[in-house]
Formats: sequence, structure tokens, C-alpha cells
Amino acid sequence: MPAEFVWSLQVGERVPQRKLATVADEETGGPTAGFSQRGAMVSQALSRVDDNVLIREAQRGNRAAFEELVRQYDQAVLRLALRLTASEADAQDIYQEAFLKAYRNLTGFRFECSFYTWLYRIVTNLCLDHMRKRKVRKEDGPVTVASDGSEINVLDQVSDDRAGSNPERDLMRRELGRKIGAALNRLTPRERMVFELKHYQGLKLRTIGEMLHTTEETAKNTLFRATQKLRGSLTEMR
Amino acid sequence: MNCETVKENLVLHSYGELADDARFELEQHLERCPDCMRERQALREFQEQAALPALEPSASMLAAARIRLHDALDSAEQSAGWRNLVFDPMAWLRQVRFSPALASAILIIGFTAGVLTSFTAIPRGPRSVSDDSVTSAAVAGIRGISHDPSTNSVQIKYDSVVPQSANGSLDDPRIEQLLVYAARNQQNSGVRVESVDLLSRKCSNPQVRELMMYSLRYDTNPGVRLKALGGLQDFVKSDLRVRDAVVEALLYDSNPGVRTEAIRQLQPVVADGSVRAALQILADKDSNNYIRQESKRMLASVAGIQ
Repeated sequence: MPAEFVWSLQVGERVPQRKLATVADEETGGPTAGFSQRGAMVSQALSRVDDNVLIREAQRGNRAAFEELVRQYDQAVLRLALRLTASEADAQDIYQEAFLKAYRNLTGFRFECSFYTWLYRIVTNLCLDHMRKRKVRKEDGPVTVASDGSEINVLDQVSDDRAGSNPERDLMRRELGRKIGAALNRLTPRERMVFELKHYQGLKLRTIGEMLHTTEETAKNTLFRATQKLRGSLTEMR
Repeated sequence: MNCETVKENLVLHSYGELADDARFELEQHLERCPDCMRERQALREFQEQAALPALEPSASMLAAARIRLHDALDSAEQSAGWRNLVFDPMAWLRQVRFSPALASAILIIGFTAGVLTSFTAIPRGPRSVSDDSVTSAAVAGIRGISHDPSTNSVQIKYDSVVPQSANGSLDDPRIEQLLVYAARNQQNSGVRVESVDLLSRKCSNPQVRELMMYSLRYDTNPGVRLKALGGLQDFVKSDLRVRDAVVEALLYDSNPGVRTEAIRQLQPVVADGSVRAALQILADKDSNNYIRQESKRMLASVAGIQ
């Protein structure tokens, strides 16, 4: 499946030995200690607990249960938001809004679908809204908008350690990445979304249909259109 | 299955989404049809290419997002009867960025906030708001509008921003709080530089240090990042998280000035295995001449000690 070919470039990839203690606050046990220390304790306590029990606990107002739920999905959510918005600040905002929405509406979740689908519905909706707003101003090229509104080309900054010292190959990869980013930007928000969910996240078309409140058939057609458009764009750009 | 149908189904097939019988037919067709085989190859190549760009959130980005969410959940819980309020997080976040006067008067140094809008009272009916009070205060956001058709009166609830100023020494917690806010949220980089500069003198406070590390990692302005780095230098020895943040800056910061400063700050802790590992990478691969030389020099000095 093509999803395997996604090379993940960890911008924060650490040297070995010591993991960056980004959350645990050794000294004050202040607000930052919440997620890590509590997360660890909750993980232990709830490790054998079924997802559904976690959800029901969270619905009853158990904050720790909710935060544990968040930890199970939040990396995927952040990744999706980052890939679709190409902006760290926007991805963070979408992350925040999605989980707050989930928290507020959790009591309305009636287990008629999986929590994953339910959560992703929220996230995809937020992303689609964002993409539609940006569509008006968007030009070609994958630029990232930093939090003060200035544009930086994220592909220039991301370096792939695994590429070794082969600058020509690096350059080619970056060029290709740019072209694909540009081609992706030419898709409609829905096309982009379906392609992202299918090609990069590897979700089944049926799930994608559920998430986007549409049929599997529509999702199939959208995927097909997106693929054609992308292939067309790339051939044009040669 | 004819070629046209096959071509339509190739995409689905490549993702494993074809039903079993269709898949069988398609694969049978492919064995006999070089044209369609070529098409499948072309599709495969495209899909491999489309693996880029690969944007992946860093561990620190994720951690920062979690912290923000945790804080937001805390405040959500604390506001009384929050479940009954119509709480729009996006608008709230935007308000916090542009108009900080939510509870008490807060100052953003040198920043005037709010969207200035003027509202006129409705044509008929009593005027309950004088023109003066509306235009002299900056309207930050409209909370709600209700209209009573029987009297044809309109009630508008809005937040207003009242520009204020706070005076105090750096030790005043209120001043510190404002500076922290400014350093994180202020769009004007000049203001951020000032706040970070002032706060960098107070890095003995672990929360301020936390902020310095955040600015070092995330601020888009290299001047701000440099100031943050400056504030952290006294703690590179004692605080492992600071050390890690400086190493990270050395490895990944886009600005050579920041990286140069980072490598200078790591001199006293060059014996640390993590630092040496980073220097090793830089000595081999860094494109910046100075960084490469410095890394080699520092590694050599450690080898001397051992």
C-alpha cells in the first residue's frame, strides 16, 4: 500500500541517550506536569481497560480518562492537521479546537460509530473549513505560515538525516516535494482531504465516507478525480 | 473487463479497495494486456512520488499542543457553568490574541487591541447607549445581539478593551505575567524581543525558563530566539531540559547566529554524552564551516581530558 512509502522526517529527531523531557516538570510540578505524570499514572491504571470504558468515564467528567483518550489519538490528529494546513500554528489551533469540541460534545457520543471516526469527523470538518478559507488566497507552492503571519518554506527547513550527504538527491527530493505540494494545492478541499486520508493515512474508503458524511461511492469518485488531477499536474510540471 | 473499466479500477486496486471478484477480473486482464500493465506501472510511480512531502509533527510540537490543551481544559473547567455557555474556542483564542481584556485590565506593551466598530442605536425607540461610550472604547467582540420586536429595541452585549498601562519592577508578578503573555502571543516581533529580553534576566524562575525554551524552539524571529538563548545560558549546566533545548537549537535552528551562540554555550558541558553525539554529527555533516570546525575542536578538547 502506498502509505508505506511515506518517509517520516522527524524535525525534532533526538540524539540517543536522553529523551527530551518536554513535559515533565521536575521542579514545580506545575501545569506542565499534568499530562506526563498523570498520563503515566493513568496509563498504568487504565492500561487493560477497554476504550469504551475510557469513553464512558470521560463522559462522566473524568478528566484523566479524557486526557488518556486524547493521548491515544492526538499524534495522528496533529499529523493530519499539519499535513493539510502546512502551518504549525494552524495545525496547533485545529488540534486545540478539535479536542475542546470533543470534550464539550462527548456526552453526545452514542457509540453509533467508533470514537476514532467520530473524532476524525470533527477534525476533518475543521480542516476543510480551514482549507476553504485559505483557498481564496492560496497560490502554488507549499509554504508554511508561521505564527506571526510570515511565510517560511517548510520544505527548505526540513532536513532528512537519512539522506546522508547526498546534496543532489536532497535537492531532487525537495523539488519533487515542492511540486507535489503545489499539485495538492490545486485540488478542491474535499479532493485533497480524500486523497490525504486514503493515500497518506491509509484509511478505508468506507471509513472516509463516514467521516465526511458521504457515501463510499462518492469517496471513490473523489479519489479517482484527485488522482487524475494530481497526475495531470505533475506531468505538466516536468 | 475492458481496458477502460480496468483503467478506472486501477486506482482502487492499488489501494486494495477492489471487491474480490473485480480484483480477480482485473488481475486476469492485466496479465493479458501490456497497455494496462504500463498504466499500472505509471500509476505506481506516481503514487511513490506522492509520498512526499512528508510533514511530521515533532515531539516538541506535540508536547506543546498537549500543554496548551491541558491549560484550556483547566480554564474550561473552572468557568462556572461552562457547559451552558456557548463557548467557541476559535473565537476565544483569537480574542486572546487580539484583545486581552477579558477579566481584568491587562496590558500588552505598546499594543492597542480590538476591532474598532461603531454601532448606532436603532432608529426608533430609546437610546440606551450614548455615542460617546461606544466610540471611545475599543470594541473587542460582540457577545450577543437580541432584538425585542414589540418595542423594537435592540440589545447588544459586547466586550470592550480599555487601554491601560502597568508600572512596576521586574519582580512584580503582575509585570512578569504580562511579559510572559507578550512573549508568547504578541504578533509584533519587536515587542516579543523586548519581553524576552526582560524575562531572560529572570530565568531562575522555572516557568520563565520554560517560556525561554518555548521561544527558542518556536519563535519565528531569530532575534527573539537569540535573546531566549542568552537567558538560558546560565542553566545549561544545571538543567538538563535547557541543555537539550540548546542542543536542539544547535542542530535544527535555521539561523547561523543562533547556532553559533548555541555551540558556544555548550562548551562547559561538552563532556555530556548527548552533547558529544550531537557534535559528532555536526563535525561530519554540517554545511556551515564554522560549526564544523568548532565541533571538531570541542570534541578534540574532550578527547584530551579523557
